[in-house]
Amino acid sequence: MANVAYQLGSSGYAANSAHSAPHAHPSWSPYDNNGGTCVAVAGNDYCIVAASTRLSTGFSILSRDVSMIFKLSDKLMILSPGFQADARTLHKVLQQRYIQYQFNHSRPMSVAACAQLLGNTLYYKRFFPYYTFNICAGLDEQGKGAVYSYDAIGSHERSGYAVQGSGKDLIQPVLDNQLKAASPLVLPPENWMSSLPLDQAVDLVKDAFVSAGERDIYTGDAVEIYIITKEGTRREVVELKKD
Amino acid sequence: MFLTRSEYDRGVNTFSPEGRLFQVEYAIEAIKLGTTAIGVKSKDGVVLVVEKRVTSPLLEPSSIEKIAEVDTHIGVAMSGLTADARTLIEHARVETQQHRFTYNEPMPVESCVQALSDLALRFGEDDDEDGGMSRPFGVALLVAGWQEGEGPVLYHTDPSGMFVQYDAKAIGSGSEGAQTTLQEEYKPELSLKEAEVLALSTLKQVMEEKVTATNVDIACVAPTYHLYTKEEIEEVVSRL
Amino acid sequence: MVDPKAAAAVHSGHDPIKHTTSPYVTGTSVLGVTYRDGVLLAADTLGSYGSTKRYKSFERLCKVNDQTIIGAGGELSDFQYILTLLEELSNEDFCADDDAKLSPKEIYAYLSRVLYNRRSKMDPLWNSLVVGGVQDGKPFLGTITMLGVHYSDDHIATGFGQMLARPLFRERHRPDMSEEEATQLLHEGLRVCYYRDKQTTNKFQIAKVTTEGTTISEPFALETKWDYKAFVNPGALAMGTW
Repeated sequence: MANVAYQLGSSGYAANSAHSAPHAHPSWSPYDNNGGTCVAVAGNDYCIVAASTRLSTGFSILSRDVSMIFKLSDKLMILSPGFQADARTLHKVLQQRYIQYQFNHSRPMSVAACAQLLGNTLYYKRFFPYYTFNICAGLDEQGKGAVYSYDAIGSHERSGYAVQGSGKDLIQPVLDNQLKAASPLVLPPENWMSSLPLDQAVDLVKDAFVSAGERDIYTGDAVEIYIITKEGTRREVVELKKD
Repeated sequence: MFLTRSEYDRGVNTFSPEGRLFQVEYAIEAIKLGTTAIGVKSKDGVVLVVEKRVTSPLLEPSSIEKIAEVDTHIGVAMSGLTADARTLIEHARVETQQHRFTYNEPMPVESCVQALSDLALRFGEDDDEDGGMSRPFGVALLVAGWQEGEGPVLYHTDPSGMFVQYDAKAIGSGSEGAQTTLQEEYKPELSLKEAEVLALSTLKQVMEEKVTATNVDIACVAPTYHLYTKEEIEEVVSRL
Repeated sequence: MVDPKAAAAVHSGHDPIKHTTSPYVTGTSVLGVTYRDGVLLAADTLGSYGSTKRYKSFERLCKVNDQTIIGAGGELSDFQYILTLLEELSNEDFCADDDAKLSPKEIYAYLSRVLYNRRSKMDPLWNSLVVGGVQDGKPFLGTITMLGVHYSDDHIATGFGQMLARPLFRERHRPDMSEEEATQLLHEGLRVCYYRDKQTTNKFQIAKVTTEGTTISEPFALETKWDYKAFVNPGALAMGTW
């Protein structure tokens, strides 16, 4: 993760106390890292998005049931691990923009349009970033799964699947292996869309979260999964270990 | 209408007792003095044709621009005070580019027309920043576009800020006669080639001069904007 | 002598901008639990000035309206400022005279924006807030940090209470508790805070909000027991390395 502008969390405190006067307070940071893991998988006719529900700070669990998934519509979701206050603010901004777009253009915003908007919105705060690592996912206008992943300042890319947040290092290589993604460097370009059938992909996502929950202290309690298809959107919750 | 004219035609923000805004009505009158412009929608695209009044043999005809590109998928033809149209077109160009920047997609044509009409209606406001004028615009536009998921579309906007969709529409001095012809001849299954002929032959009927490659302009949006070259115009003329 | 430069700065309105970088007078934990009929909040009444017990009867639990109460830890002057903001909103509700009041969730949402916006100006309100209320017949309990991080839960504890009282809540809390059970649970939480948090005094209040309205108790003390062997001679039982 890019360490943006400010030192975050406990490392900031420790680094500071070594140099400052004995009674000086640790320097205040406008950021926190509330942890959490997000996954999205795009299929030919589906999109799966999933996010853990634990909210943490440092070594404390603040709450076990806080959603990181923001549903702009049945077919369009934003997943935002990182700093929860920034994530909620970003979600509110996007919600406003989504509604305004519908009023102005008499149609729902497409995933591609939202992806660009999210990129611009993040970059707009380039020098005081939203400390969130987003995934924008849903079904595109052809009904295919669409997944875009971002860094905190708006760089983004469409891909066949994406992982963000504290469990990223644990889950990403597993999906790289299991979804057999064609390298983006292969020429001529190969299709990077997951060829897994929906039910197998859902199981893979669930397993990935169970495994991340085993080793990442910020991933646990439960994982919230949305399965988006042409027929509609279904929500599932899988309990994870509470430790 | 001129019989009932009184003091109420001075300000742009004063209704007459009958509920009319004379300055807006006069602005619409100004369009009837303008050159004729015609738009025809076909199943593969929209054709715009305009008359260029080449008033002197010393005039350079290509410097008369009455059809303009707004974005790759939107073109406009104008009639009336064409200088006023520059402001409107500039506004539409900014709006469409802004939409591409923000959403990475072409702006819906209707949204672009809405943006044009919003500006057209912003006359007489206290702060006449960014394009707002002290009087109504004296120009009407035919907006030809290609709408994703829908296909070709044609809109008409006027100084009152109103906009309507048409299959075929004529504006300007010859509009009355031309509109009658369009009404009689228009068929929805028209091809682009047939639409070119319908538009240009209709224009020909209401023009005083003979149609040549120098005194008309033709453009189409099918599905991207294209302004016809001299040769292409001649080719259409040959099919009349 | 007055520094002419400083005087000029004052008169030209160019005062140096001052932001809170550390709190002065602070309150410690706030505890909250939902129960069958509503929400209970609990806190002590101490305003600490560093390690000094500066204000011993500071009420950190306040009524916002008939369906909402809030509690605060952190900088108490900032909390009093937040109360003036809420009072302004309540006054507007009163003047409208339409019996419409801000709901607990609205107050919670509002305060989360206030705290977030102040942190975004790098001028935070140095508080942890707890909002309790009853909305649509259901209890609501939420908390907001000075950074704008906010969440609602069945039970909440801020500050040291997060480490000391929350484990008790996690073990014993049920949403269908009676008032007596919930009060008992809060007492346990307060007691452990008093034992282990230096900034807690044995003078507490409990605020209650139900469909019937809000009440804030008179300050009370909890019974404590200091004659545990470990308290009397901690060294004797401490087999640690220090």
